[in-house]
Amino acid sequence: MEHGKHVFRIVILVAVILAVVLLARGFLVPKTYGLYGRYRGANVAQQMNARPVLHGGAAACAECHSDQSVKRAAGSHRSVSCEICHAPLGAHILADGSVVKPPIDRSFTLCARCHRKMAARPAKFPQVDLDQHVSGPVEGKVCLECHDPHSPKT
Amino acid sequence: MSDCHDGCNGGRREFLAGTLKLAGGAVVTVIGGSALASSSSSPTSAPRPGGGEYDWNEHLWAYLIDTTKCIGCGSCARACKAENDVPDGFFRTWIERYVVGNEDSHVDSPNGGMDGFPPVQVGFVANKSFFVPKICNHCRATPCTQVCPVGASYRTKDGAVLVDAESCIGCGYCVQACPYGSRFIHPATHTASKCTWCYHRITRGLKPACVTVCPTQARQFGDLKKDGDPVRAVIEHDRVQILQGHLLTEPQCYYTHLDKEVR
Repeated sequence: MEHGKHVFRIVILVAVILAVVLLARGFLVPKTYGLYGRYRGANVAQQMNARPVLHGGAAACAECHSDQSVKRAAGSHRSVSCEICHAPLGAHILADGSVVKPPIDRSFTLCARCHRKMAARPAKFPQVDLDQHVSGPVEGKVCLECHDPHSPKT
Repeated sequence: MSDCHDGCNGGRREFLAGTLKLAGGAVVTVIGGSALASSSSSPTSAPRPGGGEYDWNEHLWAYLIDTTKCIGCGSCARACKAENDVPDGFFRTWIERYVVGNEDSHVDSPNGGMDGFPPVQVGFVANKSFFVPKICNHCRATPCTQVCPVGASYRTKDGAVLVDAESCIGCGYCVQACPYGSRFIHPATHTASKCTWCYHRITRGLKPACVTVCPTQARQFGDLKKDGDPVRAVIEHDRVQILQGHLLTEPQCYYTHLDKEVR
């Protein structure tokens, strides 16, 4: 009889703990948790719309700038994305649809990032030994004075 | 009397201990059961995320890197930084330069390769040198989601490993768990951050920003569920490698022409 009392107390205690845990769980676990797996399902859609698309790709640029893109496609820079030198499309056409002039990188460092002679680059890739260029040492000079970036061979 | 007292006490102790163990077990079972029930509640019948045209059941993304094509220009890392607003000093993708000799090897990645690579002098006889682009491997059996105590890190049905910044408590376990160093704690939000394969782009039919700007196609992105996909063809028919395969993380970023020095 005495044992029965203890069992009763423990059962009540367990029931209270259970109720508290389940109640706390109801408040703390996000609503869409477990919708697709052990994570908050609503986050997937949030990730899809996490930020605006900034880089449009060369095809997007060609929609308006067909002349330059045709020239580029015929030259050895055909696989160089416009946005590497001309800044991402998102810096040119803003989210509200307005068009602004994008910053254009005409620097020596931009050209050197790809074409400075370096042992780690693939041997077949066109590289310039900056001290022994045809026009003399060219470290820090403006490559675009002689080279057309849309068709660099000419 | 004293015997009975001891005996009664011992019996009570055992009884209490036993009951508490039982009660603890019951609580764990109920909580575990309810968590399981909610996580396995018929995922197929749940509406697909986003509600738009994109169906994540129709895609399984994979990344392919040909190290012999990388020229180390850093355009990928710059594009990633711009596209995803990655804070200075942190990288979702980066380029490593390897200089390898018989005796020793050297690896560097100044500012993630974003500003290109300055000439390097090494104190040993170098036989070869090459660039290796690095990115989150979006592993199929990824340790980073396994260690997350709050379910903030997860892998989507189309194969991207993402972080729910709202749920993340910034404990950094995943940063330590990733064997590839692909994660970091964002200095402003104090939550884990990483490459998402530009999830906002790939779910709109675009390639990740790093792939879009790569001038040599060293980086490629493809769909393992799409017939005729060039990346799928390479992964299925060519000899491809993964980073740190012994860890059994099943990376979904594949490499061709990988050197033994690359981890």
